[in-house]
Amino acid sequence: MNTSNFGLFLGVGLLTTLPALADGYTDPAAPTLTGGPASNAQHRLSFTPYPSADVLRMLRSEPLGAPWIEDVSGVFSNLTWTASAPAGNAFHRLEVQPLGSNALLTATVLNKLGYGPTPELLDRLWQNSGNNSAAAWIAEQSAPETITERAGLAHTNIAFIQSRFGTATNPIPGSLAINSGPGTASTTDIQAWLALNAVFADRQLHEVLTQFWENHFVTWMGKSANFFIGAQYRDGFPQRAACEWEWREVSRWREAMLRTNWTFYDMLRISAESPAMITYLDTATSRGNPPNIPNENFSRELLELFTVGVDNGYDQTDIVAMAPCWTGWTVQLVNATNALNPFAPQSTVKIDPAGPNAFTNLVGVWAMNFMFNRHATGAKTIFPGKTVPARFGPPYTTKTYGANATAGLYELVIPARTTTNGIVDGYDIITHLADLPFTQEYMSVKLCRLFVHDGFATGYNFTDAATTPEEDLVRACMAAWEGASPKGQMRPVLTAIFNSALFRGHGGNAHKVKTPLEFCASAIRALRQSTNGTGNHGTWLAYTDGYGLTFSQGGDARSQGNASALMRIGGMSLFNREAPDGYPENASGWVDAGSLAERIRFISSLCKPAAGTGSTSKNDQNTSLLSNVTDPVRLLLLRLPVVADQHDAGKVADLFLGLLFPGEGRASLDAYRHIALNYLNTDDTGNSPSLFSGLTISNASGSAYDNRVRGLVAMLMSLQRFHEQ
Amino acid sequence: MKTNLSSPFPTHSLPCINTITRRDFLARTLRGGAALGLAALTQVPPFARRALAENNLGRNGKKLLFIFLRGANDALNSCIPILDPSYNNTNRPNLFIPPDAATNYATAGACDFPTASGNQFSYANAIRLGNGFSALHPSLRFLAPVYNAGDLAMVHRVGYPRQSRSHFDSQAYWETGEPNSVVREGVFYRTLLESGLYATNPLAGISIASSLPTSLQGSQLAVTNLSDPTRYDLLGTPSPTADQKLMNSILAGNNVGFADKRSRGLLTLQHENLVNTLNLFSTIHFDEADNTFTDPATGFYLFPTTGMKNGLGTAATNVVDNGAYGFFQGLKAAALILNKTDAVIAGVEMSGFDTHNNQGGVTGDHADLQKRIAWAIYALRQYFSGSEADKVAWNNLCVVTLTEFGRTTIQNSNNGTDHAEAGLMWVAGGGVKGYSGPENAYVKGTNGVRRSGLIAGAPGDTIPWVTGGSGSMFGVAGRYLSRAVDYRSVLGEIIREHLDATPTQVSNIIPGYATEPELGAQMMANNSSVDGTPIMGEVDVV
Repeated sequence: MNTSNFGLFLGVGLLTTLPALADGYTDPAAPTLTGGPASNAQHRLSFTPYPSADVLRMLRSEPLGAPWIEDVSGVFSNLTWTASAPAGNAFHRLEVQPLGSNALLTATVLNKLGYGPTPELLDRLWQNSGNNSAAAWIAEQSAPETITERAGLAHTNIAFIQSRFGTATNPIPGSLAINSGPGTASTTDIQAWLALNAVFADRQLHEVLTQFWENHFVTWMGKSANFFIGAQYRDGFPQRAACEWEWREVSRWREAMLRTNWTFYDMLRISAESPAMITYLDTATSRGNPPNIPNENFSRELLELFTVGVDNGYDQTDIVAMAPCWTGWTVQLVNATNALNPFAPQSTVKIDPAGPNAFTNLVGVWAMNFMFNRHATGAKTIFPGKTVPARFGPPYTTKTYGANATAGLYELVIPARTTTNGIVDGYDIITHLADLPFTQEYMSVKLCRLFVHDGFATGYNFTDAATTPEEDLVRACMAAWEGASPKGQMRPVLTAIFNSALFRGHGGNAHKVKTPLEFCASAIRALRQSTNGTGNHGTWLAYTDGYGLTFSQGGDARSQGNASALMRIGGMSLFNREAPDGYPENASGWVDAGSLAERIRFISSLCKPAAGTGSTSKNDQNTSLLSNVTDPVRLLLLRLPVVADQHDAGKVADLFLGLLFPGEGRASLDAYRHIALNYLNTDDTGNSPSLFSGLTISNASGSAYDNRVRGLVAMLMSLQRFHEQ
Repeated sequence: MKTNLSSPFPTHSLPCINTITRRDFLARTLRGGAALGLAALTQVPPFARRALAENNLGRNGKKLLFIFLRGANDALNSCIPILDPSYNNTNRPNLFIPPDAATNYATAGACDFPTASGNQFSYANAIRLGNGFSALHPSLRFLAPVYNAGDLAMVHRVGYPRQSRSHFDSQAYWETGEPNSVVREGVFYRTLLESGLYATNPLAGISIASSLPTSLQGSQLAVTNLSDPTRYDLLGTPSPTADQKLMNSILAGNNVGFADKRSRGLLTLQHENLVNTLNLFSTIHFDEADNTFTDPATGFYLFPTTGMKNGLGTAATNVVDNGAYGFFQGLKAAALILNKTDAVIAGVEMSGFDTHNNQGGVTGDHADLQKRIAWAIYALRQYFSGSEADKVAWNNLCVVTLTEFGRTTIQNSNNGTDHAEAGLMWVAGGGVKGYSGPENAYVKGTNGVRRSGLIAGAPGDTIPWVTGGSGSMFGVAGRYLSRAVDYRSVLGEIIREHLDATPTQVSNIIPGYATEPELGAQMMANNSSVDGTPIMGEVDVV
């Protein structure tokens, strides 16, 4: 037979049933079979990998045209099927049964709309009925105000830290003696709080979006603290005051997202008004009228990073033209009652003016403050003569923007403004920027990168015939943005993503690498089941105290071996990113051999038993890592209540493979299963057989059974697939 | 039940026609620890084709160590134009480094190496460089022996057209080799890519930093970054004895065929890289206990990683401030890796140069940072010149510093300096063309002519340093040094001359290198085509 005839057999695979979802979700084409008879009386068929394959069956027909029947004479192993050579000629074809669409979507949503699956959420969504399905979970998470948040019950540190936030009763810097209550939270507290919520929150999407906006409108707590040092604060107070700014900012975003019609403008405005941002990008010290040269930092990043995206509708002259508009936006210590009044005078309240030490420091709230004497009063024109490029197509090219009469022209003219009226310049700008097509495009791209995969970019030509699923999805997001009333609502945009075929199919599953935060939180969540169903503090089979992920005992990543897990894995200091681009979302921003080694060390540390007083082996040189705890054997006993199953290496392997890789399907995981069985049935060196079924069941620290199971779980979480979301 | 069927495959006696899958292609091409990028698997990657071509880039036994000074170093207080009347107490009331009344800075000759008395930095004046015009900050004292040996070139007034004064942009431009571009692909990454070394060497490049810097980032090959090499092993669960078992499982996991997804190529690549480099590094002694290298001249420890190893551990012998130990742990690791493996490019970084507030003068924050630079260069020379030299010796090593821009000529109201334009690069190594001896030492000329170790920093230079109130110190906007050299010319020359890249390769690594006059493979280019600024082209330092 020649090759062209051979080509007859390389046709299109058969999809035997229709997709379960009515949104265009389809499975990829069938695998391609290759190979042929081997010399040693065996033959071996190789096939290309298939995403999330659950069951493989080899079918045989002899001759072609006869019924296909399953050929059970061979074995599957890592993309091959090997059998004794058949007597006579035959045709084979491979049948792939992919993971069901609800199971696939379950894995996708728990990893993307949340910080990873938990055993209980998997149990719930796998039911695929009523409120217990992946699709129902998307709807629920999309309306967080409808979810009762129980995170506070899951770990007492959440309430503890929250009691230290805020300024109401103890204004920054507060009495020097007070170390609890409002105003006393510091850098590590807010970091731990965010990590705790990532692990424990019921409103998972709310937490994912909290970190998204916090990271998009990035500010640097260290720079805020530096500002307070300049304001003569000492000891721990610069950090406390910096933390308070972050808390105020993130609280406003979180509140806004509980409203059904929250918009991008809401988020942008909160950021622009945040004292942390005003300080971070140097607006606080910028002055307008000559001979002063306004600082361009905020203007540049507002365009490049926060709204329209780099090189998307602006140039350097627009940055320069915008810089004077922001002059006067600064920060001031005002009376607590004036926290929301940008024109308030400096506080006059003194700490304990009559006390024995007679402190005369002023107290109050460091709030956004508009100082009109710093403001550049003249008229300004931004985007002069600039029109929306043709690539956006209608309605963007045919509608008018702001006060412009010409379609597509998005020039922004700001009149001369004096005194406190000057504050309006800034609001004019963010109002104008918030719904520009460039902003719609750039933010849609960022959200798609967050929820789908890294391969989205700005600059699509939306008017030509050639499209990709990525371009189509960005366009759908923009349509949802533009079509909402008021414009710019984020829930319709998110819904456009979550309902897309790209998101719901294989294109949205496991294409991304977890950030360090996502990785650590997901590792704990993967093993986190409630022992008695209450979910209260102390009943979890895996937990963190928050600080165990984020707390660095001073200094940088290399000092004294005490850096936090997130710092070790990728220099990720929450609320404290130095560069204005935020932590990366793309895989190459996180993955290198050194960071993988640190991920594996974190997993090893997490999975070690907590016992062993005085032992440093658990804590990986950082005592705070002692507070990341798992008990995988108890999890095993809970989920495999039959004693015979607890001795069964295959069932134990399947249990953890299912919990850790719920999106892969059994057939795709077959090779991992072999690795797991080999791990369970060898001793600690991996060189000598030591049957798992022979070990005495125990979760006592140091017992052979406990060690073996802990080692297995750590090993599985150290494999490539656990890094994905 | 949803199922999906493959096409029928005949299993009777047929010749096997082997369809090469993308994964197979890589497996066949790159076995043996090859760490090649899988980002674009749909075609034969161009770098793989290039790797097959004969080329010397990275194969001539020479190596590169770069140090990124993050935050922007104040060049004017590093290599000081001490005889420029505008370098004075008025412009820099708190930062001014006073000249030594007993020293004639116009004298040509070797660089002064002031004697230490009481402590290593007791000399509190500008150190005469010996080019008849310039001086070193006193905290750079340990550069003097390197300079006088001709192993140090300092390139002043380095920048690029349309200079960005944003840290974020400008660091990126320095690291990508493409000013004013949004490309995020590193210049040293492209060097490694162009060399094709990754086809045979699992560790052609290494970075010691909190995360992989942009200069070594790219999608087609994986560069290893270590935040702490002493931690570069697997912890093992339940105990370190299970390390090997875990490692073997990871290795087995790397070979499992899964359906291709967007990040899987990168994950596989870096996991293979992990397994390969773990084994490689297990032979290198990164531990503190093995840090016993000392300077034959002084007896001081070369890598001050603890208080006890700072000089001889006494205040009188301290060569750096006590905040420097983390940096020197990283530097030591980079030096060991270059010396003990086939790595060709290593990078480290030092932060803290963004001295807006209380920068300090003879002493203070900036002085402390400069002590680290000087001792680093001094120590590397001693380490690679002695018997420790293994895979590379000082003569074959080039050390180069990068920093995103210089700082304002006039100090600000916070006793510091703000973002400005042109800055300073240090280039050191046994093969560097530095100071060539006392005769005419201040003349910067063409090949073969005696020369100083400072380029573009004095009035006698090709592009003269103009003194006074409207001179070089105020060349841009009345506030900043304007550039006389493009950083790409310095990096390009190092890549071309030191690492032996062909002109085509340099142009692939630094776009426009062959065509843009201001980069100039030729010496003494001319005026910048962009803004008319006089530009030197390559400056002949290696």
